[in-house]
Order: sequence, then C-alpha cells, then structure tokens
Amino acid sequence: MKASINWLREYTDIPRDSARVQRELILTGTAVESVERLDGGMENVVVGRVLSCRDHENSDHLHVCTVDVGGEAPLQIVCGAPNVREGILVPTALVGARLPGGTEIRAGKLRGVESFGMLCSATELNIPQELYPSVGPAGLLILNEDYAPGTDVREVFGIMDEVLDVEVLANRPDCLSVWGLAREAAAVFGLPFRLPALDCHEAEGQRLEDYVKITVRDEDLCPRYAARVVRNVTVGPSPLWLRAYLHAAGMRSINNIVDITNFVMLETGHPMHAFDLDRVRGREIIVRRAEAGEKLTTLDKKEHVLSGGELLICDGEGPTGLAGIMGGLESEIEESTGTLLFECAAFDRSSIRLTARALGIRTESSGRFERGVNPRTVMQALDRACHLVEALQAGEVTGGCADLYPNPLAPVQIEASVRRIADRCGVDIPGEEMAGILRRLHFEAELSGDELRVTAPDFRQDIDQEADVCEEVLRMAGYDRIPVTLMRGEARQGFDSERRLRQKALGGLLNALGYDEIYNYSFFGRKQLESLRLADGDERLDALRIRNPLGEDTALMRTTLVPDMLKTLALNMTRGSEQALLYEFGTVFSKQSGENTPYDEQPWLCLGRCGQGSDFYSLRDTVLLLCERQGVKYSIGAKAEPYLHPGRSAAVTAGGRLIARLGEVHPAVAADYGLDGRAYVAEIDLDAFWAAATPMPAVKELPRMPAVNRDIALVLDANQELLPVMEAIRRAGGALLEDVRLFDVYRGSQLPGGKKSCAFSLSFRAADRSLEEKEITALMDKVQRSVKAQFGAEIRA
Amino acid sequence: MDIQEQIAGIREACLRELDKVSALQDLEQLRVTVLGKKGSLTGLLRSMGQVAPELRPKVGQWINQTREALESRLEERAAALKAQALEKRLQDEAIDVTEPRPLPRVGVQHPNSSVLDQVIDCFVGLGFEVVEGPQIELDHFNFELLNIPKNHPARDAQDTFYIDDNTVLRTHTSPVQARVMTTRKPPIRIVCPGRVFRADEVDATHSPVFHQIEGLVIDEHITMADLRGTLDAFAKRLYGKDIATRFRPSFFPFTEPSAEVDLTCFNCRGKGCRVCKGTGWIEVLGSGMVNPKVLEMCGIDPSKYSGFAFGIGLERITMLRYGIPDMRLMYEGDERFLRQFR
Repeated sequence: MKASINWLREYTDIPRDSARVQRELILTGTAVESVERLDGGMENVVVGRVLSCRDHENSDHLHVCTVDVGGEAPLQIVCGAPNVREGILVPTALVGARLPGGTEIRAGKLRGVESFGMLCSATELNIPQELYPSVGPAGLLILNEDYAPGTDVREVFGIMDEVLDVEVLANRPDCLSVWGLAREAAAVFGLPFRLPALDCHEAEGQRLEDYVKITVRDEDLCPRYAARVVRNVTVGPSPLWLRAYLHAAGMRSINNIVDITNFVMLETGHPMHAFDLDRVRGREIIVRRAEAGEKLTTLDKKEHVLSGGELLICDGEGPTGLAGIMGGLESEIEESTGTLLFECAAFDRSSIRLTARALGIRTESSGRFERGVNPRTVMQALDRACHLVEALQAGEVTGGCADLYPNPLAPVQIEASVRRIADRCGVDIPGEEMAGILRRLHFEAELSGDELRVTAPDFRQDIDQEADVCEEVLRMAGYDRIPVTLMRGEARQGFDSERRLRQKALGGLLNALGYDEIYNYSFFGRKQLESLRLADGDERLDALRIRNPLGEDTALMRTTLVPDMLKTLALNMTRGSEQALLYEFGTVFSKQSGENTPYDEQPWLCLGRCGQGSDFYSLRDTVLLLCERQGVKYSIGAKAEPYLHPGRSAAVTAGGRLIARLGEVHPAVAADYGLDGRAYVAEIDLDAFWAAATPMPAVKELPRMPAVNRDIALVLDANQELLPVMEAIRRAGGALLEDVRLFDVYRGSQLPGGKKSCAFSLSFRAADRSLEEKEITALMDKVQRSVKAQFGAEIRA
Repeated sequence: MDIQEQIAGIREACLRELDKVSALQDLEQLRVTVLGKKGSLTGLLRSMGQVAPELRPKVGQWINQTREALESRLEERAAALKAQALEKRLQDEAIDVTEPRPLPRVGVQHPNSSVLDQVIDCFVGLGFEVVEGPQIELDHFNFELLNIPKNHPARDAQDTFYIDDNTVLRTHTSPVQARVMTTRKPPIRIVCPGRVFRADEVDATHSPVFHQIEGLVIDEHITMADLRGTLDAFAKRLYGKDIATRFRPSFFPFTEPSAEVDLTCFNCRGKGCRVCKGTGWIEVLGSGMVNPKVLEMCGIDPSKYSGFAFGIGLERITMLRYGIPDMRLMYEGDERFLRQFR
C-alpha cells in the first residue's frame, strides 16, 4: 500500500518529518518499508516566464531567451526546444538546480552565448502525462494555467510529497487504505483523525428505484450490496489534486468517474465499480452464482467460460461482471455514459480468491476482497464517492440508495481483564492507560476495576478475543516496555534428539576422515532418477510426486541420495578440484504411509568421493569404520547395483538387513554426469545401521603375557575372496589366536598363472600363561590343514 | 722392570690412547686391550705368581686401583663421546621447519549444521527438548491447527507444495508444535529444527528448500516478557553479551500478540552498517504469544495455560553470520565454498 504524506495529512496532522513517521509506525506495527520523494529529488526548478526570445546568431536552432523567474533580474537562458516562444510559462531549472535522477544544472556558454539555467521538458522533470495532460511528446513543458514566476514547480504538479510504502499485515486489511493508515498514524502520535465530508445533496426527481431493481440471490457470498445512481454524468479529466494523489499511489488517471472509484478505493479500502446504467439490460442487477457454461467477456476483452459457482453481477439478460474481480466489457463507462450506477459491496473472500485463481485474474479489487473487505463500512465509501461526484461536478446523485444488508454484523464486544492482559504481556500497564490507548484506536472502552469492557470500531475486522485487545494495548504502549524475564517454574533438563546426536557422531568421524558435508534439495527429476538405470520394479523408481512442482527436475521426492551426490562430485571435479570427499544426511521418501506420518520418511547417509586418493577400498573402509565405531556386527559381500561397477560393488548387511550399498560408479553412469575419472559412492540406511549398533562393552584387562607371532603365506586361486580365508584361519586358531592380519598379497612371475600368494600374520596369546612352542605349532598345523581343505591353499615356506 | 713400573706404564699408555680415541668403538677396543680378559692389566694379575708372596696383596691392590681409575676414565670418555655423537646427530638432523606443505585434509560441517548445533546447544541449555517431525505433513497439522483455515490468504503467502489436497511439504516447522500440543500435556518446552519447503523460485535469497528452528513453551503464567528473556538469552549466547533484542509488532495467525524480533547488528554491533542498512538492527525471527484459538484447537485450556512460540530461519542467521551473499551457495556443494568454514 502506497500512501502519500500529503494525502494522510488531509485527515490528521502527522509530522512532516517522514523518517520519524516511518520509525514510529514501524515500532507500533505498521511496516513502512520505504519512504520515497515523489519529486525524484528535484530541486530549484521554478516557474519561469519567457519575456523575450531571439534566434542565436551562431546556430540555426538555438534561441536566446530572457526569463523571469521571480527574482530581481530576468535570467538569460539559451534554449534549443522548437516550441520556445515569448510569453510562455515553463519550468525553469536555475543554476544549482537538481533534476530527477541527479543531473545538476550549471551556468555555461552555448556557442559563445552565456546561459544561466535551463528551460525543461516533461521528460527531464519526469512528469507523466496523466499528471499533466498537456504534456507533449517533445519540447518544453508549457504550463497552461497562470502561475507566478518563481513558484516551485513541484507545487504545480502536486509532487511536493513523499510516499510511504507500507507492507500491510494480513490481519489489517483496514490499513490497505489511506484512512486506515491515517487512523493508525493519528493514534500513534496522539492526534485527532478527521473524517472528510461524505454528504451529498440528492437531486430532486427520479430516485434510484426508478432506475434499477437490485436483487442479491446468493447472500452467503455477498453479505452486503449497496448502490447509488448518478445521472447527467459528465465524463472528463480529473482535477490536478486527484491526479496527483492517484499518481502518488501508483495509479494512472483515466477520467473523473473511474478516478473517483479508484480514489475512494485507495482512501477507504472499498473497491467500487461503476456501470453504465444505460447498458445494463433490463435495468436490473442480480447478484448470483454462475451456472456451468455461462460466458462473460471482462473489461480486458477476455472471454471466460465459467465452471459454475463463481459469483456474478448480472443484468436482466446475463452476466455483466465478475463480482469483486473485474467488470464486464458490456457495461464499461465511456465518454458517452449518461447515467451510471456505483456499486459498493462486500463479497466472500474465499469465493473471490478461488474464482480469481481459477480464471487467472488478479486485480487491485480482487486482491482487496481476498484480504477481506469490511461489510460494516460499505456505505461510507459509497457516500464518499457520491460526495466527490458532486464536488467535481461530474453528475447528479439521484435520491435513494440501495443497501442490501440482510444480516448486519453486530459490534464486537469483549469483556477483558486488565490483570490478564498485563499478565499476558508481562508488562505492568495500568487499566486507565489501556482504556486510553483503546480509545485512541477508536475502540469504546469502559473500565471498572479489573474489568475492561471493549467495543471494537466498525472498521476493524480482526478483533474478536481478549488476546487481540492485548496486542492493541501492548503495541501502542510500546513493545520496548516488555522486560526481560526468565520463565518461572521448575528448572528443566533439556536434551537434543537421538537422531541429531547420532548424526553428529557420524558427521564428526566423517569430518575427521576428510569428508565435507553438503546439503541438497529433497526432490529431483525423473531424468536424474533414470540415470541410475534401476531395473523395472525397483521401489526407488516409485517416487512420490509433487502436484505443483517448480519444474520437472524438482518434481519427485528423493528415493535415493545417489544422483545428487554424483552431480555434486561432478560439479567439484569440473570446477578444477583434485579430489572431492562428500557426505550428505538426507531423507528418503516412500509412497508407503509412515507411523503417524502421511508418508514413510527414512534417514539415509550418502558418501561420495573421487579424484586423488580415492579408490574402492578408501570408500569401503570409511563405511566399515563407521560400522566398527558404532559396534555394528556387519557382513560384507559383493553385490552389484545397476549404477555401480559390477566387479567393484558391495553390500554391507547386519543380521540379514541391508545397511549400505557401495562401490565404484559404473563408467557409463559416471559419463552421464560428466565425471571423467573413477568415482565412488555409498548409501547407508541409518535406521538399519542404528538398529545394528551395539553399545560399547566393558573394557578388557590389558594382557600381561607376551604374544607369540607367526606368519603364514598361502598360495590361492587369484579370484579367491580373502574374507572367508581369514575367517577360516580365525576359526582354526581358536581362542588363543588373538589377531590375524593380511599383510601382503603377491601376484607375479614367481607364481603359476591364476594364483596369488597371501601372507597373514597370526598373533597368539593366553591371558594367564606363556604359550609353549608345541601348542603354537599344533595350532599352526590346524590352520594349515583347514585352509588346505577349504580353499586348496598351498603353504609357502 | 718391576711390577709397579709395569702398572704405571700400562696406565700411562692407556691414558695416552684415551685422549686420541674419537669413536666409541675405538674406546671399547681400548678397554678390551687394557681391561679385557686378555687385556694388559688383566695379564698382570695373571702373572701374580711371579710376584713375591708378601708383595702380592699390595700389587693386587695397585692393579685394582689402577683398573678402577682407568675404568672411570674410560666411562667419562665414553659419556663425552656419546654426548658429542648425539650433538652431531642433532645438528645433522636439523630440518627446515618453515618448509611449506599441504596440511592433512579434514572435512568440514556444512555451515547450516554448525550454526544449528550452536542454536540447539543454547536452547538445550535453557531446558528445551528437541523434537522433530515429518517433512511431508497433513494440511491439518501444517495449517488448520495453526489457525490458517482453507482459503485463508496466509496460505498464499506460503506458496505451498502439495502432494494431494490434504498433504503438503511442510511450509514451516510449526506442525511439529501442533503435533506435540495435541499429544502432550503442558508444561511443554520444545525446539523443533527442520527442513521446510516453499514454492519459491531460486534466487540469491530464496530457495524452495530451507530450514527453520521453532520453539514453543506452554505452561502456567508464561508471559511475553518470558519470550523476550528467552530470545535475549539466545541472542547473547550466540552472538555476544552486547547483543540486545528489539520487538516490533507483527502478525502471525498462530500468535497473538505477535512480534518480529530484531537483534543488534552483529556486524557493526549496533552502530549502523551495510549489513543492517544503517539501522543497527537485523530482523532475525518472528515470535509471539500462542493464540488462545490454537491452544483450544489443540485441546489445551487457554484459561489455564499460556505460551509463546518463535521461529528462526536457519539460512538467514547463517548467511548473516558468515556474510554469505547468495543462498544458492548453501545447496550447491562447491567445496571451495564449504571448506572455508571451520
């Protein structure tokens, strides 16, 4: 909402210091976003009269003028405009003047002739045509009226003004009006508010009833419908003051009648509509819901086919306007209009909202109805418009007035308690002060003891409970009076959520291992999902779809974190990183419903790495380390995923439940993402992971006996997995075998083809005694027999 | 030569050699030559048989005295040589301690995560419990229970992503509060951090995905001053003791009275700068006293209980804190951006 200070000052004498007005309004709840000078920073531009004008001796188009600017002596000014001539009044920028946009005017010489100022065009002064209709497309802005030379031209154009841009809160549609803001400002500064004249002198003769019959069929969508008739209408330009206020509010001047409806809308907050009554067929207005298939062409010349249920203004033959949204082309006001009908009504906000949305129309009017137009104050707006018609001599207001308001809203009365309000605020505000504040805000307030009986003013629709009264009191008393206190009651133990604590534990470990955390959106596109080449029937393909996504690439809720990880790895590598190590904690969504939630949401962790220092094992070992640190008893085995390298991918499970899938990204998939080198990605199901986590057991006693170490080298088939071999060694070694480590794998010329030599180091220890040589030899024999039997291993010396 | 002279001769010779020795193994060699089993001094002991019996004790004593003296000299010398060798080694081992090398790589937390951890720590310290909820939420919890009925214009402001008519991507973390209020009895003191969604096109200050931290307290005798006290403690804890709060009236459907809360600009500490557009204050969060209608809808008696709620935009405070110019950086995953955080 834009409101000019001059306009506000028509109703209350708020200070001219706009910075102060802005500050005080902000602190009491009116969000003044900015204050702008309407003159664009213009300074020292005055009305000048051209006293003489002669051709410049060294130019074929320049003129040398003497200009009376109200000073002691006329100025000599050189001017190149074709329409300069003796006798005209024209805006004159003096030496030292500033034009909108910041240009400064200096004394100078044009082709040898001195010039002390500049005669100005409308463009140079940024004066729009609707503000000064005689503004031509080129040349000087010649003033038609008589002004004293030296008059500040900002007064001439009504732009000596500042405009407040206010972000009106959703609960205060009454402040979408100059009156509303003026009332607020008056209350803030403790000043009276002057309601302007609303009266009109109804003309003798035919009355409204003689012109038109009005019926409201759907009262639920139209709680109040009021109208007046104006005859002998003279459509013409509006006076400057009206054009200036509309300009300040960011609206264009059209003609006096349209301008009056717009002015009244801005002034009172009530959208109005004017119908050419001669074109209202059957001289009848019917307010009703549309039937399916009805057609209407709106003012913007668009034809709409209605689906039924939209609220319409109809005449005797059919729709003539979309109620509260846009009038019909049929009954538009034109130069020739002789008799008109002013409509001022209250329509149901939801209905207007749904219709405007469905038809894709948004107008100043529909916006206001959506936010709530107050039925109680309809007549004020209608009367104000009629008053202005008379004041501007734009027509005769006929006698009589239609006001269909079958269920008048009762005034809102609230029984409040001074103590409860003060308690809610935590501020000790005396009852007298509360009553005073409320009265300043046009409430009726009666105080007796603790009891505060309040009646809300008719222009407020947002007050219906004590808490609302409380806010009114507190905001005017000043939020700065709220003290800083600590909550009473018992001290309380706070705690973080289990999920967050666990995430922090894993995140800290990943940071220590060099991984950086990333955040991605929670949705992706079909294309990204398909990049994984998942098999038909894979549940990850069955992603939940957003009904109104921003775009196709953000339309599906993620069922896997892998695509975003690949995208981010690629982004880093293409931007020149030597390596990338990343992790993301993210939610994976399913179409199944969850426990107490609309859909099942699972926390997953995704790891990705590529570039220098990355290979399959570096990624795998990160996953295994996470398992080891949280006591997850896992198994690992080769397992392919369509998007992973079939020979370099694995699954980690615990108790048969999948914990993680990991591996090298399939070269074809990597290529799709623009990943040149090898990339590695792992995805961990955190619910499964934590379900398998075990608490740390009590510490073991430190060994006092020395360990005995023995190495063994086995020649195995080259494709033999070593984890089972190690496990077989462990089983054969029994309780005394404390540790087994693989320390070398050799493939090469010393060995027959298709074989590898694997060296293990075994460490034996008994807690309570030194082991004897023969015990160890027996155990080593058993180990050898076991690996020979199970894997055909040959023992190397 | 009598035995006494022999002893003196061995001694002199040994001491002469000792001065020349410069390596530990030469010193050991000398020790063996003189004092070893086959050493010259040891040899004299073995030839005691040729000494007159009455002189034997005397000679034995001389030899032992000499042995002890030489041993101690040898040890001294050994210690000196060891010290020299150590000294030399230390000199040889000197390295360029300024040699530039890349530091070992450690990873970093996303700035959102680290700021969130600080915020949560602060509220946990004030006795708040962290509660989380689903990101896909029922209209009932996301809007209805929060006093935003169907077709309310406040819904437009929140540009909602819909799954279907009754299910939305939550537009704020307030539905978690609604869930708690409908399932628990006061006293309630919770913070709800989480991911929220708005159908906003992406630009420097908008993202369809962002994060909020909301707080809710419901108890007997809770006042707006308690709200201010809580937020004041939060501001001071996170940004410093000199940070103050400023409340401005505002409107939210689920609070009444409502307040926008400004904090002293943590860039200029209130003097006025580019970050705070010269005002000295930065708008950080929205808050207010829980609307009695919301309490009632959630089954809590508003005549007995009152409460306050507040909501903080995580990205907003993170961006302000670190001077991050563009929200897109937070969701792009460029390590050159992320690795600046510590």
